[in-house]
Amino acid sequence: MANITKKVSWSSRGDESGGGERTPLLNGSEEVRYTRQVGLAFFPGSPRLYEQYRWCKSVCVCVCVFQSLDYDNSENQLFLEEERRMSFLGFKCLEISRWVICGLIGFLTGLIACCIDIAVENLAGVKYYVVKQNIEKFTEVGGLSISLILWAVLNSAFVMLGAVIVAFFEPGAAGSGIPQIKCYLNGVKIPRVVRLKTLVVKVCGVICSVAGGLAVGKEGPMIHSGAVVAAGVSQGRSTSLKKDFKIFEYFRRDTEKRDFVSAGAAAGVSAAFGAPVGGVLFSLEEGASFWNQMLTWRIFFASMISTFTLNFFLSIYNNKPGDLSSPGLINFGRFESDSVAYNLYEIPLFIVMGAAGGLLGALFNILNYWLTIFRIRYVHRPCLQVMEAMLVAAVTATVSFAMIYFSNDCQPLGPDQSEDYPLQLFCADGEYNSMATAFFNTPERSVRSLFHNPPGRLFYNPLTLSLFTLFGILLAAITPNGSVSVRGLYGPHYGGGIVRMTLSLTVIMVEATGNVTYGLPIMLVLLTAKIVGDYFVEGLYDIHIKLQSVPFLHLEAPATSHWLTAREVMGAPVTCFNRIEKVGTIVDVLSNTSTNHNASLSSCRSPLLGKICGLILRSQLIVLLKHKVRELARSRLTQRKLQLKDFRDAYPRFPPIQSIHVSQDERECMMDLTEFMNPTPYTVPQETSLPRVFKLFRALGLRHLVVVDSENRVVGLVTRKDLARYHLGKHGLEEMQLAQT
Amino acid sequence: MSFGRCFLKLPYFTNMFIVQVGALLIALTYYTNAQTSVVAVNTTIPGSEQSASGLRQLAVAVVPQSSVFHPSLRSQFSLNLLSAFPEDLEVSNYCVELLAIFGQRYSTYVNCLVSAARPVKVCQNCYGTYGNLMEIYKNISDQMGPGNVSCRDSLLRSDRLMLVFLLYSNLEDIWTASECNRCVSLRHYSLTNDTLYFMETLNQSLSCFEKYQKQGNHSELCTECKATYRGLNELYSRMEKNHTLCIDIEDSMNMTRILWSKDFNCSFPRAETVPVIAVSSFMLFLPIIFYLSSFLHSEQKKRKLIHPKRAKSNPSFINIQDKFS
Repeated sequence: MANITKKVSWSSRGDESGGGERTPLLNGSEEVRYTRQVGLAFFPGSPRLYEQYRWCKSVCVCVCVFQSLDYDNSENQLFLEEERRMSFLGFKCLEISRWVICGLIGFLTGLIACCIDIAVENLAGVKYYVVKQNIEKFTEVGGLSISLILWAVLNSAFVMLGAVIVAFFEPGAAGSGIPQIKCYLNGVKIPRVVRLKTLVVKVCGVICSVAGGLAVGKEGPMIHSGAVVAAGVSQGRSTSLKKDFKIFEYFRRDTEKRDFVSAGAAAGVSAAFGAPVGGVLFSLEEGASFWNQMLTWRIFFASMISTFTLNFFLSIYNNKPGDLSSPGLINFGRFESDSVAYNLYEIPLFIVMGAAGGLLGALFNILNYWLTIFRIRYVHRPCLQVMEAMLVAAVTATVSFAMIYFSNDCQPLGPDQSEDYPLQLFCADGEYNSMATAFFNTPERSVRSLFHNPPGRLFYNPLTLSLFTLFGILLAAITPNGSVSVRGLYGPHYGGGIVRMTLSLTVIMVEATGNVTYGLPIMLVLLTAKIVGDYFVEGLYDIHIKLQSVPFLHLEAPATSHWLTAREVMGAPVTCFNRIEKVGTIVDVLSNTSTNHNASLSSCRSPLLGKICGLILRSQLIVLLKHKVRELARSRLTQRKLQLKDFRDAYPRFPPIQSIHVSQDERECMMDLTEFMNPTPYTVPQETSLPRVFKLFRALGLRHLVVVDSENRVVGLVTRKDLARYHLGKHGLEEMQLAQT
Repeated sequence: MSFGRCFLKLPYFTNMFIVQVGALLIALTYYTNAQTSVVAVNTTIPGSEQSASGLRQLAVAVVPQSSVFHPSLRSQFSLNLLSAFPEDLEVSNYCVELLAIFGQRYSTYVNCLVSAARPVKVCQNCYGTYGNLMEIYKNISDQMGPGNVSCRDSLLRSDRLMLVFLLYSNLEDIWTASECNRCVSLRHYSLTNDTLYFMETLNQSLSCFEKYQKQGNHSELCTECKATYRGLNELYSRMEKNHTLCIDIEDSMNMTRILWSKDFNCSFPRAETVPVIAVSSFMLFLPIIFYLSSFLHSEQKKRKLIHPKRAKSNPSFINIQDKFS
């Protein structure tokens, strides 16, 4: 974040509140040698999305937009009761239904991948056909600039369609989707990221933008789609469609949902690259803090089913039912001949390639970073965003056309008609413009044809290739909705420079090329690319996560943070209730802490001045108020027993406090929270160091950590945002200040 | 390809196997009875001196008393000893005859192929000879000769090399690769109508070329012959769609196209560079204008800093800082 700290100064241009940008964190402690700089974090994205969230004034110290997921089970009495009631058979059934859900996730993800593939192929096919016919016509009679305009218009039209639905209907579907899923697996709940609407918009968006010739790929959207499918299927209902199938009710909580979402992400990777193992490793790499063996095995199952489904349906589509040998949307085909074997002396060459890829990737990331900042700042209205996307599509078409027009690279037609849309243009009869073939194809296809030109026949000359690559990179860099697909395009070295995933990317590449022999070279290349790239700039996803100022917890706490204690990190004061509290008090507190995004409240025993006895969440209180208000007015004996099910039904969208009306009589009632609170929350003493707190958060997937003093009294509460603020910058530890759109 | 074929015929082989084992046993008894002939057979193997000497040593070990074994004597032995196989191992006369015919036709076809290699005319010139060859091979492999003699086993598959089969399959591969089946109907021993029509059209174009080429004016050629040439191209692409192309047609079309585009330079010139550049640069300027205008006119997003509530007022907090500094 160091570079942001400095570069971010643009944000305070004419912004009076930006004056505090360089003020030290601690007022009155300027003399402290360890001056900590204050960075800024922003919430980019559509203002429409976030305008509704207002800063909450009292208890919570959190960024309002991003909530944490609660991966820690609340072991209250209701939970214990339910567990007691559940038979042995019940647990077996749960296990089986987990497998069924994973199968379903894989199946649906594969199906979606198949739909995307077929739709893109057909739409792009129509476009290329029309453009090709047009060019052929005008080559003869003159007026090729009209073809150029036609191409640009077609591209823009497709992209406009996609951009409009994304910008106006579901801004959450913008972008690649991988950063969002990464955050979700990390434990940050990004609003609207796993909704059905997002899925639909995402799928349509990716079809339109790929068909519109943007330099984007399908892997990001596939991963996102897989995650949405998983989040939807595992809940057994859809709140968007208002349909509850009354199944899988047990899984309606964050812990279970996260497990399935990681399975979904794996299924998405597996469908996109035909890499089941790579998918599992991707989930492992991104969500590695919460993991167990059985889960791995289930996720692998989901991945396998996904690849299989995609294969199966594609084989039917290609009129070869039962032929299951074309896995993945983005595969590089099989390398079979001996001509692609590598030798020992080539290894330094691979390393050089990796370094070059790292440099290119860093260049890409820097470009993308600057453009993203520019976009956040100036291009934030939806209509502007749509216009930008259209312009980029038009530019893509223009650049492609110009390159085809001025290319002199003619190649004889192949014997097997491997080129789908051979364009002759100014070439001799019986030859075609090889640049046109590179552009008249969806990105993955051109890469595949690049790798698989019949040996002995020079398909692309180096100039064509390098121009294509260079413009591909530039175009991809300026492409809005910033996709990362180029990674799939320019092979592992470049991809390694951009995304900086190591293990999963290596395995994905090995699987996508279908050749284990390349394991070592690919790994070497990725390793160098990562080292070189990291020297200049972070990975693309990390950049985007940072630009979205998501409280993302990295693997470890910043290195020099041991001197920070929980006391300095925590948010205080914490709202406390008595074990038996007046309804009125609860309602008041909840209303005052406004917004429906709030952290937790701990339930404390009042006589002992806040000795902790449990933790209760805001959402639980709201559900309690909603269900119990009326019963409380009557005799306590007739009251219906509230069950865990009621909490689950409300999950994940709890109603706001404003929607609950409490009469004056009811305000006087007392409410017993004992049953519902978590009696054994995790606590730490005040002197605990930041890395220790960090480890607890990371390993247990906590949402709140209560800080207590020596007498077990609550003094504060640590949440994810309190930890994610600290970064190791160039000037030592830096703290980001929280900001809001 | 040939591997697959062998594989398919495996059941035959298993049937054959028993017969062959029987034959082998007979042969073995024969060999043990006549050791000298074994030696003779061994010595007839031509090869390097080393292997010959190795064999000799072996032979000496087996037949120590043999004094006839001497390099200078090698030429005295002849292949005639092979004819000493008993009747049932002998290739029948009928089959030998067939083999001779096969060889004859084989060489005719190969000669034809070689002479038609460039420009490629292998289909139209050699379909007759190929038909003959195919016929004789069919006779060998399928038909029963007089006295229910089948030459299939004795000629095609009684040794590891399977020479006759190998030879034939090579030529068959050539035939398949050249796609001659699409131009020739072997049943009628004739070229297909499509092919004949194409040849006719091709000749029209070529004669047109020739006519104007003599005048030495290529631009006139380009305009005058365009109609016939285009007709030829259209016919070709129609045939391509119907899968009625063979190597002859492809090659002649290729040659004509090269003639047309490279020799006569009749393909389209790159004439509209200026408008294309103009339109492209206009398109490329659009985003720059867009970004500039949004930079200048769009309001910048304002962000409010949030001052998080911390335990700053905590008295012990300062102490910690002090302690630290």
